[in-house]
Amino acid sequence: MATSVASKRLFTEYKHLTNDPPQGITAGPVTEDDIFVWEALIEGPEGTPFEGGVFPAELKFPKDYPLAPPTMKFTCDMWHPNVYPNGNVCISILHAPGDDPNHYEHASERWSPIQSVEKILISVMSMLAEPNDESPANIDAAKMWRERRGEYERRVRENVRRGLGL
Amino acid sequence: MSDQSSINLPQIFVILLVGFLLYRWFFISSDAAGSRQSRQNGARLNPAQVEQLSQMFPQLDRRQLMWELQRNGGPPPSFQPQLPPLSSTSTGARPGAAAVKPKPSHPDLITRYNLSSKVGSSAATEALPAGASAGANTGKKPAWSQNKNERQQLLQRRREEMILAARRKMEERDRAGAGGTA
Repeated sequence: MATSVASKRLFTEYKHLTNDPPQGITAGPVTEDDIFVWEALIEGPEGTPFEGGVFPAELKFPKDYPLAPPTMKFTCDMWHPNVYPNGNVCISILHAPGDDPNHYEHASERWSPIQSVEKILISVMSMLAEPNDESPANIDAAKMWRERRGEYERRVRENVRRGLGL
Repeated sequence: MSDQSSINLPQIFVILLVGFLLYRWFFISSDAAGSRQSRQNGARLNPAQVEQLSQMFPQLDRRQLMWELQRNGGPPPSFQPQLPPLSSTSTGARPGAAAVKPKPSHPDLITRYNLSSKVGSSAATEALPAGASAGANTGKKPAWSQNKNERQQLLQRRREEMILAARRKMEERDRAGAGGTA
């Protein structure tokens, strides 16, 4: 029962994202046989070192979606303070309410059923532009971003080019 | 007759009270003894638990684990003995891990989506927008299809277009940069 609610909702979101895609975002299930695994492509925001890049990510939805949030993992080399070295994205909208024992995040920033895949992807896009320094997932990247911005940007640009096969 | 009953009633009451108190005393004392015994059993070290913990925390010696177990009477759900401060070897391992990281662990998008045939030749880059416009207004406004396979193809094409467009843009920028310096 819960599964059918989840897949219906995901199907609706897929349709919406196809008919009215946000700028720089393409997302949909890898195959419709399993609507709980999606692939998304996100363009790097302009005016940032990520500009011009396209970043693939995998979204995995729980069976009780939209009650619980999906997980998101970049499947490319992503050097960013809020992305774990294995690609997992650490952003407040992907955290279920009550998840944060440190109270860094407001409940309104975290996941709730009124959020959507579109909002996640837009949040991640703005996260690329503005890393959240408070709770870094990749300590080395956070340190570099804070102390050696030039090196950080160079490294990000290198990843952008490599991702496009250049 | 009535005289006897007036004597018996308080007697019966007293007997009942004493009986209840005796029963209660036995019951409580046996229960307390039982629980005390079980506590003692818990405090006795279980070699299996020590073994398990020494596997979880190999950096601690068994004496310390036994002491922790004895003090807490068994491992609580969040057992966490005091760990020694991180030694220099573990901090030394981190730069090594960082040095390993820069090598690309993921294939680039062109390899991943098999786009190498559509990249490079300018003819292919011309052909792509043509193909998109050939699909009527699907290129301009991605429409939702009722057909599952068509939807899948549409999504795939949108992905490919996005990647190829980004690559073309980057190449143009490179050329402009080269022209500027030359």
